Amino acid sequence: MMSFDIAAVLDYLIKLLPAIRITLVIVASSILLGLIVGTLVALPQLYNIPVLKRLSQLYLSFFRGTPILIQLFLFYYGLPELLKLVAVDAARVPALYFVILTYALHSGAFMAEMIRAAVAAVDRGQVEAAYAVGMSGLQVFWRIVLPQAIATALPVFANLTIANLKDTSLAFTLGVMELTGKSQTLGVMSRQFLETYAALAILYFILSFVLERLFHLLERRMSRKGLAGI
Amino acid sequence: MTLDYGFIWTAFVALLDVVPVTLAITVVSVLCGFVIGASVALARQFRVPVLSQLGAAYVTFIRGTPMITHLLLIYFGLPMLIDSVAAALGLSFRSVSIPMIGFAYVSFSITAGAYMSEVVRSGLLAVDRGQLEAAHAVGMTTAQAMKRIILPQALAASLPNLSNMLIGMLHGSTLAFTVSVVEINAKAQIVATTNWKFFEAYLAAALLFWGLTFLIERLTALAERRFRRYYRGGVS
Repeated sequence: MMSFDIAAVLDYLIKLLPAIRITLVIVASSILLGLIVGTLVALPQLYNIPVLKRLSQLYLSFFRGTPILIQLFLFYYGLPELLKLVAVDAARVPALYFVILTYALHSGAFMAEMIRAAVAAVDRGQVEAAYAVGMSGLQVFWRIVLPQAIATALPVFANLTIANLKDTSLAFTLGVMELTGKSQTLGVMSRQFLETYAALAILYFILSFVLERLFHLLERRMSRKGLAGI
Repeated sequence: MTLDYGFIWTAFVALLDVVPVTLAITVVSVLCGFVIGASVALARQFRVPVLSQLGAAYVTFIRGTPMITHLLLIYFGLPMLIDSVAAALGLSFRSVSIPMIGFAYVSFSITAGAYMSEVVRSGLLAVDRGQLEAAHAVGMTTAQAMKRIILPQALAASLPNLSNMLIGMLHGSTLAFTVSVVEINAKAQIVATTNWKFFEAYLAAALLFWGLTFLIERLTALAERRFRRYYRGGVS
């Protein structure tokens, strides 16, 4: 009969700290890439471009309609095969890059939705008014639409980032040593699974809590600067 | 790249066998999650002293940690708890006799419960306060008002969220492979090990999930039409 060893939890908490780096690397790079992908995917929908619009809908439907775990395996096994066609050998590429790519494409789909909704939320009259005072298309977008869209998108962006953080816990399936992968090895070595996973849960909780606070501060700051003045 | 189309089909057919397992995990966790979530949401809504604080802590913790940590904690923690309780009570029941899928049911229900409580809460908040007051004014009790006036409207308002929840749990059920439950994801891996055609097997799994998700979306659209029948909007 085992019992729960609280002192060990603290011990594992400290041992897990270095693995936070990999987790954050995955989150940061996939969110940044996802933002770029999401913008590219959202544009055909915003500007109603015929064929591209259908393609981006298909993209959205696929990435929102299948589990991220399946996507992870699909890219890990499929992409090297695909790259062989163009004579690129991806067999030696570390799994971390596949993880980042998959998460970027996955969050890209949700980012696209976020961007579409945020731009659609800007009142049409604002754009017309901006044109009426003689702004160019670029100016209208930059000075009028974007600041307002960012204000509506920020809470969604915060949610997506935190969801992405939690999704990174699946990267261990490809052997990436982020928090979950690390805690699994710790558990196997010490046989104290419950303690290591308790430490793991606490770390994730702290991370998502800190992220949430940071986004909250950002939102407050932006509304004070009048950027989110609606 | 040479895709083995024949094997995609073979894998697809093999995966159909375990669709009931995936669906069972999804449905059980969403239903139990709904019960948990509704209780927590009501406790918080009516500010029941201790329960509402406990509920808030539960929701915050679960929403701040990945679903897989819940599964792992339940998988390793629950047997310890059950065995010590059984030993203390002198029962012969031991945790070994719990099937693996039981852990998935318990942990995913706990996960779903936290998210569900937010769905229920936003559904309840979507109903105008005046509706409850009007129901009281015509002599209904609070229980009657909830059942006849508030809940039907709250349900209609939260249908899109419920659908998202169902899809989220469907996708989340793929994690059950970590506790050796053979659902679609695990089955894809098993099928692929026979000839190392992992890509084909996961392609089949992805198509299957895509189809299931599409089905849920269609069904919700139908349900939404039915539930929103009372809502005509406008003045006509």
